[in-house]
Amino acid sequence: MGKVMILNASPRAPRSNSKRYAEIFSKYDPSGCEYYNITKSNHKDLCAKIEAFSDVLFVFPLYVDGIPSTLLQFLKTLEDHAPRSKPVISVLINCGFIEWEQNDVAISMIKLFCGQNGYAFGSALSIGSGEAILDTPFKFLADKKIKKFAASIDKQKYGSFHTAMPLTKRVYINASTDYWIRYGKKNGITREQMESMKIE
Amino acid sequence: MKLILSDRALNISIDNSSGTIQYIDLTQLNISNCTGCFGCWTKTPGKCVIRDDAVKVYPYIAQSDTLLYISRIKYGGYDTVMKTMLERSIPVQQPFIRLVNGETHHVQRDVALKKATIIAYGDIGSGERDVFKKLVARNAYNMNFDSYQVLFVREKELEQTVRMEVSKWEK
Repeated sequence: MGKVMILNASPRAPRSNSKRYAEIFSKYDPSGCEYYNITKSNHKDLCAKIEAFSDVLFVFPLYVDGIPSTLLQFLKTLEDHAPRSKPVISVLINCGFIEWEQNDVAISMIKLFCGQNGYAFGSALSIGSGEAILDTPFKFLADKKIKKFAASIDKQKYGSFHTAMPLTKRVYINASTDYWIRYGKKNGITREQMESMKIE
Repeated sequence: MKLILSDRALNISIDNSSGTIQYIDLTQLNISNCTGCFGCWTKTPGKCVIRDDAVKVYPYIAQSDTLLYISRIKYGGYDTVMKTMLERSIPVQQPFIRLVNGETHHVQRDVALKKATIIAYGDIGSGERDVFKKLVARNAYNMNFDSYQVLFVREKELEQTVRMEVSKWEK
């Protein structure tokens, strides 16, 4: 049994869905884990802590089809400040689209980092509709999958997992449209304003 | 409009007598990370709330019907300079989702359909090439590419490759 370091690489880490996913993971991780946000200024501090852990879990959203710039910058720092003992690296990725497969490229990027820098790749959990699922009755699906994912890391029986809201794409689009209309309304912005074709 | 967006300075001369080519060297600009605030979707639609140099760039990305992205490759993706700019380009999309080729993607604002060339440079192994090709195939859906090509080159071949690609525009 090892110990997991969770690194939240969301650009809005303190108020991100990634943080909520990390909290659920912590609940199911029997060995106890430590959670950190990746910020602009703490890369080297985090790199110095890594060797105390058997596993690192990156939690992040899909960003423009790949890993967020925040994580890219951190990985480059880690490349230059490699720990003496290298943990196994796992990922939990969520995307706002319903197809969890859209996260595949980002997972491949992390695997490339691992391959190039001598880290073993562990488990991957890929969540579709990940911006929404935690606030719907389908939260239990995410919970269940995170529990299995956490167990795979704890037992070092690594694997690939995925989940998404069990909706048709058409129903998902309608639900997502309602979500964004409500979001805009909180800021005093109408659907028509959000649908503006104007840029700048 | 034709756009050349590069993550490094290029020693090339561009014949812009037609006035339709825009060349942007991102290293000359001050562009900070996207903070994921959704302001460009739900507070000031179409405008990023961070008023740095990125706001001068994404309107050109939107307007261009022919574009050339030039980026170093890292872990099978765009390296930091280009990736940071692409993340800051999301004001060109709406928050709303539509189906594109059977997949869910964001609705575009006034974004021209594009013929895109991506020049990926550096010492790029076959694994990285495969991942990058998959990445650009995904970008095509999210960035309104009508067609695209990906060229892999060593850095010393970069400027010559750019010259060749731009010369095709002049024909």
